[in-house]
Amino acid sequence: MAEVGLHSVKKSFGKVDVIHGVDVDVADGEFLVLVGPSGCGKSTLLRMIAGLETVSGGEVSIGGRVVNELEPKDRDIAMVFQNYALYPHMNVAKNMGFSLEHRGGSKSEIAERVAWAADILGLSHLLERFPKQLSGGQRQRVAMGRAIVRNPQVFLFDEPLSNLDAKLRVVMRSEIKALHQKLKTTMIYVTHDQIEAMTLADRIVVMHAGKVEQIGSPLELYDRPANRFVAGFIGSPAMNFLPVNVRGGRVLLADGSELADLGAAAPPDGDYVCGIRPEHLDIGANGAAARVEMVEPMGADTQVTVSLAGQKAHLLLRDRITSNQGDTLFVAVRPARVHLFDIRSGKRGN
Amino acid sequence: MRTELSTGKKTALYGLMCVLLIPFVFPTWWMVTSSVKPISDIFAFPPDIIPRAFDFSTYSKVFELQPFARQYWNSGYIAALVTLGTMTFSSMAGYAFARIRFPGANIIFMIVLLGLLIPAEVTIVPLFQMFNRLGMVNTHWPLILVPIFGAPSVFATFVMRQFFIALPVELEEAARVDGLGRFTIYRKIALPLARPALSAVAIFTFLHSWNLYLEPIVFISTPEKFTLPQALTQYTDAYGGAMWNIQLAAATLTALPVLIVFIVAQKQFVEGLAHTGLKG
Amino acid sequence: MRQRDAIAGYLFIAPQLIGITLFVLVPLGLVFWYSLHEWNVLANTFTFTGTANYQYLLSDPALPETLMATGIFSAGLVAFNMSLALLLAVLLDQKLRGITVFRTLFFSPVVVSLVAWTIVWGFLLQKNGGINGMLQTVGIEGPNWLRTPTTAMISVIVVQVFKNVGLNMVLFLAALQGVPRELYEAARVDGIPVFKQFRRITLPLISPTMLLTMIITIVGSLQVFAQIAILTQGGPGMSTTVLVYYLYQQAFQFHYFGYGSTLSILLFVIVAGLTFLQWQLRRRFVFYEN
Repeated sequence: MAEVGLHSVKKSFGKVDVIHGVDVDVADGEFLVLVGPSGCGKSTLLRMIAGLETVSGGEVSIGGRVVNELEPKDRDIAMVFQNYALYPHMNVAKNMGFSLEHRGGSKSEIAERVAWAADILGLSHLLERFPKQLSGGQRQRVAMGRAIVRNPQVFLFDEPLSNLDAKLRVVMRSEIKALHQKLKTTMIYVTHDQIEAMTLADRIVVMHAGKVEQIGSPLELYDRPANRFVAGFIGSPAMNFLPVNVRGGRVLLADGSELADLGAAAPPDGDYVCGIRPEHLDIGANGAAARVEMVEPMGADTQVTVSLAGQKAHLLLRDRITSNQGDTLFVAVRPARVHLFDIRSGKRGN
Repeated sequence: MRTELSTGKKTALYGLMCVLLIPFVFPTWWMVTSSVKPISDIFAFPPDIIPRAFDFSTYSKVFELQPFARQYWNSGYIAALVTLGTMTFSSMAGYAFARIRFPGANIIFMIVLLGLLIPAEVTIVPLFQMFNRLGMVNTHWPLILVPIFGAPSVFATFVMRQFFIALPVELEEAARVDGLGRFTIYRKIALPLARPALSAVAIFTFLHSWNLYLEPIVFISTPEKFTLPQALTQYTDAYGGAMWNIQLAAATLTALPVLIVFIVAQKQFVEGLAHTGLKG
Repeated sequence: MRQRDAIAGYLFIAPQLIGITLFVLVPLGLVFWYSLHEWNVLANTFTFTGTANYQYLLSDPALPETLMATGIFSAGLVAFNMSLALLLAVLLDQKLRGITVFRTLFFSPVVVSLVAWTIVWGFLLQKNGGINGMLQTVGIEGPNWLRTPTTAMISVIVVQVFKNVGLNMVLFLAALQGVPRELYEAARVDGIPVFKQFRRITLPLISPTMLLTMIITIVGSLQVFAQIAILTQGGPGMSTTVLVYYLYQQAFQFHYFGYGSTLSILLFVIVAGLTFLQWQLRRRFVFYEN
């Protein structure tokens, strides 16, 4: 087990800079998730930790040792790939034992390790099968098994669940979490799916266009997103953004109606972008008038699309409502759940 | 295009294909059957599809008139060596061009590809001179070395490269994380997975060597060293006229084993060739 | 680690690179060098004559005939080969019981020894051979195929095509089967007739395969030697003396190595030029590449 350090890590392909200096310290035993839209550089960053990409600038360290120049095999890491990368010509046992075999482990030792890993992952009855005879979830498990037999210092996961269907993804997500709780090894996990990030991570690194936007625990990111990008990326359905004017602590919509009163906690008067999560817009007897445009019942929740001072906004309600298209509702937000962002920089203002 | 066809259309298609088959199948059939006909029946008008009488003495004559067994061995071992050599070196080069980044790779690949543009016929004169200098004329060396290392191997390299490019790169990255070096990745991961491409290369190379004609007649001059294609044309009487039935018996002996191997393994054969990376 | 990998790369390509240098590049240079010399092996003379061989090449009375024969042979072979291969591939792409048997049989000449195949055809094409025998049964007096200029050329083309068309057929078949089924289903839903589907969907999608096979077939057609040596020896007259055969005659029958080398250079220029031309055409005619 080991901590991982990234210090002003840069990557460029030719003249194109794809990662502009990333600083993250991953604690020993931590589950860190790198999340961001595709092309944000999260996979490249992971591959640099693995040693599959060269580091253009800065320093990558594992267990206190700078590994920039080390081959992947010398970094004591294991990696699970998006498409599993199982060797098609080897059966499950061979796939899992291959690296040990190559590192010169004895036959009995390898068999023991493979049996141990197979037991943890529920693969014991599949050891003789070949990858093409396995289902997607089983392949995924073998890929993880191949990683854990080695007992490495760090596990790296590159979008390991994105090739699975929605249901299986939820199952495997829990398995990965359980695995981490059992092994307590440092894990770095790349995904574009913010729900995976929220559910799995001790800490999340949100990346965008080769830069780190925010680092924090899942709930920190949810409760106090540092900027508009993080606010919009974390949370589902996504946050509503409305242009507002703050005057004397009161948050006013374009038509002058009041959304919330922040009192002393309010930032200086002026124009802001106000972020409100759909689940935080409450219906009441008074507040800003909203015209119902669409009602989408989902069983447990109901999603309502409204027009609020000429802007479209979404509500996520726990209660069922009887309103129809064209009806008018009154909505308000609790002050603690109002996020104000600077119009130009997008930085948090309150 | 693969839609269900009506019975009438099916019958018409079968009919059309049977007619088209004649020039593909009849010559081989004719070769085999005529090789056991008495010489007088070969020119029978109208020709006999099935022999009326059998005369197997042609087959013993094949071996009497020339050291045919020896020539058979020559062709066989040369083709085997060429096939093995080409598979080894072309898969190595193809792998490197597909997977390893090294300075000058593109330029070197272009130079190698140049070999595709240079038919053996273009360089036959200097090759003859070079091997003559080395005292290798009238030996099998030119027939072995030139195909393995020269222009014919370029096509094999190209096929292997196309295959390796299509192989998921994550497999090799997983292998690197698992601690394998370049050569081990090539030998334990890439090569075992390259079976389809390797078998295509093997088939092409074997047939190419087995069919080689210009090079043997340029380089080889003594019957003991002949290869089969060359030997087949030597069954002539004192006046240079062909001894047809003996020639056909020798041709049958040359063609039949390969044909039988092909029919037994036709699925692998055809599909191997179809996946040579020529799909563009 | 980059560096070590680069070294591995050079080691991997070393055998082939050395081989190409030794057996292709050096000989190509030598051919050019030889072509500047008057070299008679029998007389053991090797004298530098500059461009004399090339001047002779331009005035060689046999050259126009040779080039004509080469052109007719290659054009005929490529046209016949490509269209027959496509026809057979389309037929074999149908859903029919036992289709693999047909595929095997159409492909079988590819694996029959070239010289054996040629000898059999040479025999069948005799004046009193099997083909005329069959024609006679339906009352047709066949020509002496290999001894009449026009039919001799047709014969060598046809023999070569039947021998090798199976290769292109299989490649086309794979390309046809690689066209996604949904495209045809979409076209059927849109009511596009089958012939138009073939022209507007199939052909564009298999055009990369067609171009590559065409290059290979053309280059291959310029190398055809054994068939001509066995069937016609370039005759009757010079009607089937293609460039390779002429080169062989000059260099190894008449022992004019210098002039033979000049002809080699000509062959190289033609092959390289044609390949380059087609590579350029690719941009215009290949609609789709992945």
